[in-house]
Formats: sequence, C-alpha cells, structure tokens
Amino acid sequence: MAVIQLKDVKKSFGSVDVIGNVNLEIGDGEFVIFVGPSGSGKSTLLRLVAGLEDTTGGQIIIDGTDVTNMGPAERELSMVFQSYALYPTKTVRQNMSFGLEVARLPRPEIDRRVNDVAQILRLSDYMDRKPRALSGGQRQRVAIGRAIVREPVAFLFDEPLSNLDAALRVEMRIEIAKLHQRLGATMIYVTHDQVEAMTLADKIVVLDHGAIQQVGSPMELYERPANLFVAQFIGSPKMNVFPVQPVAGGLSVADGAGTIQLAAVPAGVVQAGARPEEITLLPAGQGHLPGKIEVVERLGSDTYAYVAADKVGALTVRIVGNAADMAVGQTVGLVFNPARLHLFDGNDKVVRA
Amino acid sequence: MTIVGKTNQSARFRRSRWLMTLLLGLYFVYTFVPIWYVITSSTKTNPDLFTSFGLWFASDFHLWQNLYDLFTIQHGIFRIWLWNTFYYSLVSGLGAAVFATMAGYAFAKYEFFGKKFVFALVLGAVMIPQTALVIPIFLLLSKVGLLNTPFAVILPQLVFPFGVFLMRAYIDEAISDEIIDAGRVDGAGEFHIFSNLGFRLLMPGITTVFILAFVASWNNYFLPLVVLNSTEHFPVTVGLAQWYASAVSGSGGALLFTVVMAGALVSILPVIIAFLIMQRFWQGGLSAGGVKA
Amino acid sequence: MTDIAIAARPRRARVIINKKIAPYIFLLPFLLLFAIFLIVPLAYALNLSVYRSALVGGLRFVWFDNYKRAFTDANFWSGVWTLFKFGILQIPVMLILSLIFALILDSGVAYARAFFRISFFIPYAVPAVIATLLWGYMYGPAYGPFAQLAGVLHLAKPDFFNDSSIIPAIANIATWEYMGYNMIIYFAALQAIPMDLEEASVMDGASAFTFAFRIKLPMIVPTIIVTIIFSIIGSLQLFTEPYLLINLARNTINSHFTPNLYAYTLAFIGQQYNYAAAISFVLGGVVAIVSYVFMLAANRRVSE
Repeated sequence: MAVIQLKDVKKSFGSVDVIGNVNLEIGDGEFVIFVGPSGSGKSTLLRLVAGLEDTTGGQIIIDGTDVTNMGPAERELSMVFQSYALYPTKTVRQNMSFGLEVARLPRPEIDRRVNDVAQILRLSDYMDRKPRALSGGQRQRVAIGRAIVREPVAFLFDEPLSNLDAALRVEMRIEIAKLHQRLGATMIYVTHDQVEAMTLADKIVVLDHGAIQQVGSPMELYERPANLFVAQFIGSPKMNVFPVQPVAGGLSVADGAGTIQLAAVPAGVVQAGARPEEITLLPAGQGHLPGKIEVVERLGSDTYAYVAADKVGALTVRIVGNAADMAVGQTVGLVFNPARLHLFDGNDKVVRA
Repeated sequence: MTIVGKTNQSARFRRSRWLMTLLLGLYFVYTFVPIWYVITSSTKTNPDLFTSFGLWFASDFHLWQNLYDLFTIQHGIFRIWLWNTFYYSLVSGLGAAVFATMAGYAFAKYEFFGKKFVFALVLGAVMIPQTALVIPIFLLLSKVGLLNTPFAVILPQLVFPFGVFLMRAYIDEAISDEIIDAGRVDGAGEFHIFSNLGFRLLMPGITTVFILAFVASWNNYFLPLVVLNSTEHFPVTVGLAQWYASAVSGSGGALLFTVVMAGALVSILPVIIAFLIMQRFWQGGLSAGGVKA
Repeated sequence: MTDIAIAARPRRARVIINKKIAPYIFLLPFLLLFAIFLIVPLAYALNLSVYRSALVGGLRFVWFDNYKRAFTDANFWSGVWTLFKFGILQIPVMLILSLIFALILDSGVAYARAFFRISFFIPYAVPAVIATLLWGYMYGPAYGPFAQLAGVLHLAKPDFFNDSSIIPAIANIATWEYMGYNMIIYFAALQAIPMDLEEASVMDGASAFTFAFRIKLPMIVPTIIVTIIFSIIGSLQLFTEPYLLINLARNTINSHFTPNLYAYTLAFIGQQYNYAAAISFVLGGVVAIVSYVFMLAANRRVSE
C-alpha cells in the first residue's frame, strides 16, 4: 500500500524546468532516499512533497488524499531541516511542544508525547536548555524530536547530517537507522552523500537534472545500475569506465591491446565499467591489459592502486588488506571479471546480453 | 514572499491581505497629511490660508509667487540658509563618516592597549543626551572665540559615536581577517590595506553612516540655534523657526505665513527626493547595526 | 614589486611597526574630536557648575551648591515630571505601533510593501523644526484643518494647547517623526530571521500571526530594548517641539516646561551659565540612571 504517490510531478521556476515528470511511489514504512549531485532537484522534490513549494504540474497523493493544493500543515508531514531551524528563544521542551500547542492538543497529551520522545532521543537532561547551549548533535536530535512528536504520516529529512563533522555524522547515521527500525515510520531523506544513501535506505531514488535516473534498493543500484550516471554515482571509489569495441567472442580494449572473453556481447556496446574491487592485478605479462602503477594508497583495511593503462587511462583497483609488495612504477597485468562487467551503449544506458 | 502567501490562495486569506493593506494605508495617510498640508498651503495666498480648507487647494494657485517671495525676501536670505544647511550637512556627513569608519575599523580589526575601555567610553557617549552637550559646547566655543562661525556647527557634528558603533559591527561582518592578512603578506602597509582593500567592501556601511550623519546635521536645530547669532550663518532650521516665531507673534506682517510654508516645502523636498533615490543603499547598513544590537 | 630576497628583512620590520601603531592612527581623528567636543565640554561644564557668579562677589567656588539648588528646584522637577508624563504616553504608543506595522510589512501579507516601506521613513527626513511648524499650523484653533473640520461637522473645536492636551499634542508630533525610523529598525531585524525558521513553523502548523508573535517577536527582543533605550534618551531631551510651540501655547508651555528648555532659558535669557550647567548635568544624570535601570531590568528578563 503506497503511502505517498507522485504522479507526473513537474516544477518550473519561470522558464527553468527544475523537476520534470516525476512518477514515484513510496510504501508504508519505507525509508526512501533522494540522492544526487547539487542542482539535481532532490531538495526541491522533497519540498514539493512537504508543500513548501507548489507544483507546476502533476499530483501528490498522501494516504489516498490528493494534497496537491493543500498547505504543509494539512498534509500531516514533519520535516527535519539541514540547519535544524530550532526556535532560538525557546527551550528544547518548548521547541518540541510548539507544533502540538498550535494544534491545540490538551496539555497532558503534549507533555506525554514530548517526554516519551525525549527519552527515546536521550534528551531528557536537556529539556530546559535553549538551542544555543546545545552541541550540533544534540540540536539535531531536538529537530528530530520536534518532528516525531507530531506523529506524522511521514518524516522528511533535508540533508540533516551535512552540518555535522565526520565522526558525528557516522554516529547520527546509526541513530537515524535505529530510529527507523523503532518507529517503523515512512521516511523521505535527501542527501548528496551516497554512503548515507547506501547505508540507510530501503529504496534509493537517484536524481540528476530534475529527472529520476533509477529507483531501487541499494544493492540493486550497486550491482545493476541502469545507466552510466547511476553506475558512477553509487560506489566509492567511482566505477572505472573505458571505451571498448565488440569483437568476435568478446570485447576489445585499448584498440586491440587486450580482449575480454564474453559469452554474449549485446549490440551497441561502446563502453564498459568495472568497479575497483572487480579488477585483479597479476604480474606483468598476464591478464587482459598491461598497466603501470602510478600511485598506491594504503588505508590498512584496503589498498588502492592507481594504474595507468595505455589508451585506456587511469584505473582504480582495490585490494583487500595491505598489499605490502605493491610499489609505484611496477608493471602489472589487469584482469577484468567478465561476469561483473557493466556494459553501456552510446546513450550511456546499460545494455545486457 | 512568505510561505504563507505562496501556498494559501483562499478568499479569506485574500480578505485579510486587503485588511492589512488598509491598515498600512491608514498609517500612510497619517504620515502624509502634514506633507500634503505643506504642499497645498504653499500654493495659497495668505488670505486663502485662513479661509480655505486646510487640506485642499484654494481657487488661486499662488505657488510660484510664494516661491519667488521665499527666495527674495530679506535680500534672499533663504537661499543663503539653504546653502548653509547643505554645506554644513555635507561636510559634517563626510567627516563624520570617514572618522567613524576609521575608528570602527580600528576597533574591529585590531587589538590594542585600552581598547575595551575606549570602546566603552564611545558607547557611553552614545547615551549622552546630545542637548546636554550643546550648552557646554557653547561655553567652550565662546571661550576660544569660534562662536558664530560655520566651524561652530560643523566641528561638533563630526563626532558621531553611533557611527563608530555601526561601522564596527559592519566591518566585523564585511571584512574577513583573511583579506587583511593576505594584504600584509603581500607587503602592503596598514593604511594601504584599509584604503584599497577595505574601502570598496565598506561602501554600503559608509554610505549608511554618511546618510545618518547628513540627515542628523540637516535636522539639527538646538546646536546651531545656540552657537550662531548672525542670520547669514543660519541653517534653514534656525532661519525658518525664526520666521515662524515672528509670523505667529504677528509682527513682521501676515505675508510671512505663506513664505514660511513655501520655505518648509523647499526644505523638505530635496532631502525626501534624495532619500528615495538612495534608499536602496542604506537599508542594508541599518540592519547590521539594528540586528547586532 | 620590490625584490623579495633583498627587501625581506626591512619589509618585515616595517609591517610589524605599522601593525602596532596603525590602530592608534586610525582612531586619532575621531578620538581627538571626541575629546574636544565631548570630554572637554563636559569637563568645562562640570567646572562651571561648581562656581557661581553674583553681582556681589564675582565668581565663587561653591562646591555643589548649584546641584543642591537644582535638586530642590520646583521648576526643574516639574519639567522632569512633564517628561515622565510625555514619555510614558509617547514611547509605548509609538513603539507598539511601529512594531505592529513592522510585523505587518515583514509578514509579506499586505500589498505594495516596498511603497509603504519607503514612504513610512519620510518623516525621519523632515527636520523636527518643520514637523513642529506644520503640526503647529494644523493644530491651529482658528484656521487649522482639524478646527475647520470640526466646524463643518458642528463639533466643538478641538483645543490642542490646553493643559491636558498639550502633552498628547506634542507626543503626536514626536510619534509622527520617529515612528517610521523605529519601524524600519524592527523591519530590518525581522527580515534577518532565517527563512527556514518560518518553514519549520509552517510545518508545525503555525499561521503567520502565530509565527510572528510567538517566534519572531521574542527573537527581536534585544532590538526592541535598544529602541526603547534610545527613545527614552530622546524624550528626556525634549526641547525643539515645546520651544517652537511656545507662542501658540503661551499659557501652557512655560520656560521650564522641560529641563532642556529650562537650561536654555537659564543660560541665554537669564545668563546664569553656572546654574544652567548644573541643570544640564543633573538632566544627564537622570538620563543615565533611567537608561541604566531600564537596561538592568531588561537584561534580567531576557536572561530568564
């Protein structure tokens, strides 16, 4: 049962089309993430769902009701803002109670909800502080708490972790994941960070230039990207992409320097993609293609080798653990895994045999 | 436009929009009535001033005659007053703005011995009633023999503590320490940094302070009243007030009423017009001081 | 650009000296004028105020006699009382109205906002002398428009110059002059409030009014406090308006109607400079005390 539906939703600012013909269904309890680069329209799409912007065309349906012409309050949604947007002159308790007071809920009910949520978010010790006396992480939890007490149909998050430092971001990411498990609520989350998207989402919506590139679970997007954009947006380091030509029995790489055997070669292939962990390094002379190691990055848990191959460019290769005997300047042989190769046509779309 | 306006198109909302506009309109009427009064009154002959309805024109349109009288009466003294006002305000405004900017820059971007104390002193000076100073300034100027000169009016007006306060807040925001450090690394002297790098960035703030100081000088009455006694040094405020007093007391003749009205009109129109032209520049500057406070 | 290698040493030395001295040089013009036209006059006036000159005996040092006289001077205190009645009426009325109009303008609800914003500020550009002059005419019992209107409607002619109406009449002039100025200050402060706070309140279901009164207003309390203090300081110095209206209201405005008027009369009509100086200081003291007390009270409320 879909809780939120977007039908042919369009948004233009003057003559500029920011969102073009979006169709999307979000199920009850799903954690959906809108992800994409800056300017992809992900925040705009979220604000359209929230009602903070009007659609230029299309419909938005929440819980069976067409809310396209309704204001934000009537849609029964809550939003967590990137800057938290906490009311500076109010205490944590007052911040969380405000929406309920506006809705004229009875006082005991307001207090009950606020106290319950404060406990879940571990804010009970800070209830009488003002936002300026709180740390970034605490403020974020207050913003989340304010959203939860209203018991909305769905939660909207607008890049909530962007203003936190790296360590705090990881911590809060886990908190949000646990929150979703605990509440089982529908959540729409916007981020530009694909790590957040991969780790938190049930379903990811990849956006570029106002159009949906692909919708799917994190693993679907990772293992079966629909086009070049998604393939290179998801996954870090980026997927290696290089030109290929179809030949009998496989693909020729680097103007014939090497050939990758494929059982079936789909028509129209012009590029192939291989993720860093799908490329293996063998001693020079072996493998599909020769290459020379230019830079080695050792993280302890992984090693990244940047290998230059003639007429192909630089390829990133990932090796698990510390490859102690790898050295800069070493010549190696690159091996591609045909089963894990992603093939793209001239329109940057994935083609499968 | 606020969110509320964007997403609420109901008829009830539109009615409340008109209601709010009406309220603002009422306030506008209140604001405008005296100005309208001076406009209509300047066009009347003296008898008409007393017989026709105050807020509408009379049958005789006498504006040009009144203006002629205004600029020729008493050997055209009004022209001199107008010039004086402009001259005093321009010099005071520029001077106050430059000095306040330099001082504000010093407070904003440097640390030095006694900084806190001096700033507290300046801040305290903002609180001192201007008029409490006028009589002491009079006594001082009288002692050094500077009374009844343009300096008597201009010099005290060059001190603008509120301008220092404003510029300090503005400079804190507008000029980052990095720009100054970059200039230093490049070998530029401090004053060079201030005049070249800083000045462009400071323009909105300086304009604000200039306008505030200019208007303050233009409107000033008590100071010139006290320190000047020959009519040829008077600014418009003092001169016009003198004419008004004589018109009310009945001496000097009835002619002066219309002339006073025309004088009032000529005194306020230029500033209002200049205001309208410059209003885009200074509103930003005001927010720096207002919000910080 | 000078050769770095050669000039490195002396150039660095010059920058260090410059940096240390620079602030003093920047401050110098302002501080010099500040000292001459603020500190010195105050010191000189203070000096004057502890002397008295009499026909017999000339100039004598009298310690604080002038101040003692000021403290027991009925004229002075009646002026202070007038200011109190004036301030308690004018300041709240003006600031509350300014606030309301600023909120209306800021909410974006009304039409033609830019037009109103500019026009409301116009009175600030009108000198107090001219404003008083114009309102003085309009208050005119024989020929002012209010009197004329009353005549047409067969109502009693309003008397703006009797004992009970003179203070509201002057308060009206002051309000007319400064309401726009205060309104713009509030407006700028309200506009500085970030958009996403408004969006958060919209998500919380708040109407424009609720948001304005429960969120925005508390946020600009510091600005409001500043305007109150400046208004207090301004009204305690009331001079121009009553001075110019004296001829129209001879029976109600006397030479000690406000302390400033009193000091002026003492100095320039009575030639009693010493006592006038003392009066100025006592007035300054009253202003300082009232402002300070108010600031303390306001800060205590804000930090709660």
